[in-house]
Amino acid sequence: MNATVLIVEDEPDVARYLSAALQANGYRPIVADNVDSGLEKLQAEKPELVCLDIMMPHQSGMALYVQLKQDDLLKTIPVVIVSGIEREGEFDFRAYVPDPAIPPPERFMEKPISAEEFIRVVDQLVRGPRPDERRGVR
Amino acid sequence: MSTRARTNMPRRVTDMVQAALFEEIPFNVAVIDREFNIVTANSSFGRHFGDWQGKKCYQVYKKLHRPCDECPSSQVFEEGKTVMADAVGIDQHGRQTHYVGHAAPLRRDPDGPVEFVLEMTRNVTGTRSWQQEYQILFDRVPCYITVIDDDYRIVRANEAFRHSFGDVLNRYCYEVYKRRKSRCPSCPAARTFRDGRRHRSNQIGTDRRGQDIHYVVTTSPLAREGGKVGHVIEISTDVTAVKRLERDVIEAERLAAVGQTVAGLAHSIKNILMGLEGGKYIVSLGLRKDDKEMVAEGWEMLERNFAKTTTLVKDFLSFSKGRLPQLRMVDPAGLALEIVGLYRDIAAQSGITLRAEKGDSVRSAPLDPDGIHTCLTNLVSNAIDACQMGEQKGSEVVIRVSENGEKLLFEVVDNGCGIDYEIKQKVFTTFFTTKGGEGTGLGLLTTRKIVQEHGGKITVTTEPRRGARFRMEFPRKRLMALWEDSRHDQPGENQQDRSTK
Repeated sequence: MNATVLIVEDEPDVARYLSAALQANGYRPIVADNVDSGLEKLQAEKPELVCLDIMMPHQSGMALYVQLKQDDLLKTIPVVIVSGIEREGEFDFRAYVPDPAIPPPERFMEKPISAEEFIRVVDQLVRGPRPDERRGVR
Repeated sequence: MSTRARTNMPRRVTDMVQAALFEEIPFNVAVIDREFNIVTANSSFGRHFGDWQGKKCYQVYKKLHRPCDECPSSQVFEEGKTVMADAVGIDQHGRQTHYVGHAAPLRRDPDGPVEFVLEMTRNVTGTRSWQQEYQILFDRVPCYITVIDDDYRIVRANEAFRHSFGDVLNRYCYEVYKRRKSRCPSCPAARTFRDGRRHRSNQIGTDRRGQDIHYVVTTSPLAREGGKVGHVIEISTDVTAVKRLERDVIEAERLAAVGQTVAGLAHSIKNILMGLEGGKYIVSLGLRKDDKEMVAEGWEMLERNFAKTTTLVKDFLSFSKGRLPQLRMVDPAGLALEIVGLYRDIAAQSGITLRAEKGDSVRSAPLDPDGIHTCLTNLVSNAIDACQMGEQKGSEVVIRVSENGEKLLFEVVDNGCGIDYEIKQKVFTTFFTTKGGEGTGLGLLTTRKIVQEHGGKITVTTEPRRGARFRMEFPRKRLMALWEDSRHDQPGENQQDRSTK
C-alpha cells in the first residue's frame, strides 16, 4: 500500500506541486489548506509523514505541530516543515516553540524546493535511508 | 527772579534751607572753580572721598595728578549748561566707585560767565554690580534673548543671539530671524503687544550662515503694571538638535520597516517561485506521461505565478514610493464616520454591524486624510473578512477614536476569527494574506507605512476565535512637529523670503 503524506499548505499551487511530486513517486498525498482541517485529516488518516507550512491564515502551522508532538498516538509521525520562513540562514525552531519537551521537526526545507530534493527527504523519512546512504552514514 | 523773591521767604530762612539742603541732600556735593580747586563740599563728599581741603577735584575723585581727559566740569565752564555723566572714581579707602554725576553752572549774574561748577555725585557701585551680573546673565544664558520695540526693531540682543544671528541692533526682528521683508503671519510678539500677555510658539528661522534654526520662543511684555507695552522681550530656545533627533528616530523607524518589508517580500517571492517550480514540474510530468490535461494544468500554474509576480512587483513599487503625508487639520472622528458610511452596507450584507465610537476629548489633528482613510479602509476590510471567517452570530466591527494622554488613537475592533500568535508576530512585517490568491498581503504593510509616516505606530492584540483589536497611535507632539515642518516647507511667504537669501 502506498504511504500517505499529509500536506498542510494554504497556497493551492504549492500544495498541488508537492502532491504531484508525491503521486509521481508512489505516495498517496492528502491536502489540508488550514490547521483545523489538517488536524482532522491527521486524526482520520494517520499519515506516514506530514509536510507542513508555517505561515497560514488564522493559525500557524506550528499550532498543528505542537498538538501532533503532544499526542502519544501521533507523535512518532515525522514532520517536514516546508516554509519560506528563514532566520539568518537557519530555521530557529525554538523561536516558535520554546517548550523544550517538544522536539524539533525531523526536517526543515526552505522554499523554493525542487521535486527531487523534496522526494529524497520524504523517501528518507518514510522508507529510511537508501543502502548507499546507509553506508555513507556509517 | 530769585527763589527767595518767588517764595517770599525772609533771607535768613532761605539761607537756612540752602545750608540744610547742602548738607542733607543724599548726594556728594562739591563746588569747584575754573582751576579745578574744590572750594567747598558737603560732609557726605568728605565721608566718601576723604580730605578735600586745598585739593583739585581730579586728585580727590580719581587720585590723579592731572585733569581728567573727559571732564564734565570743563564742559560746563565752556558751554554754561548742566551736564550729566557716569564716571568711575576711587573712594577714600582706595576702592573703585561707580557714580553718576550732575554738574551745574554757578554764576552771580545770570548772563555772566560761569564762575563755579556745582558737582553732585551719587554712588551707584551697588547698582552697577547688579547691572553687571544682570548683563552676564543676559549674555551667557544658553538661549537667545532680544528686546524689540513696537516697530519690531531689535533694541537689545544677548551674546548667544549675536553669535548665531550677527550684529542685529536696530534691525527688524523678522528680517533677522527669518530673512523676511514683512512681519511674520503668526508673530507671538504682535500678540504680546496687543494683549500684554505672554505667548509661546515654535518657529523656524535662518541663522547668519543660512542654516535653519528651530526654536521655541516665549514673548513677554516689558511694561509697568497696566501701562502700554512699549517693548517685548523674546526668549528663544534652540531646539534644532532635538528636532534632528526626532527626525532621526522617525527615519530609523522607517528604515527598520523597509528592512522588515524586504524580508517579507522575500517570503512572498519564495511562494511564487514554488508555484513556478510546481508549474514547470507538472508540465514536464505531463509531457513525460503524454498527459495533455496535466500539461495544461502545469502551464496554467506557470501563467498564474508569472501574473502574481507582475502584480507583486507593481504593488511593491507603489508601496515603496516615499511620500510625505499631506497634512491638514481634520476631525479624526469625521474620518471614522466616512469609513462607516462606505462599508456599513457591505458589512450588513454579511450580518456584521459596523459603527464608530468617539471619545469625549477628541480634538482636531494634523493628519493626511487620504492616508488615514486608506489605513481605516484596510483595517475595516480585514475586520469584516475576519468576522465572515469567524462565522459567529452578532459579529461587530467598531472604529473607536479617542485621546489617551498625549496620543490620538484609532482602534478597529472586531469579534471575528482572530489571529494566531505566530502570525500576529509577522502580520506587519510580511506580505501575509488571509485572502488566498486575491490579496497581495500589502494592506497591513501599507497601513503601517502610513502610520509611521505620521510618526505613529500600529499594534495588534488578538486571540484566536475571539477577535482582534488594531490600534493606531499618533503622539500629538510628533504630529505637531510634522505639522510645523509641513507648514514651513509649503510654498508661501516663508519660502519666498528664503529665496531672497
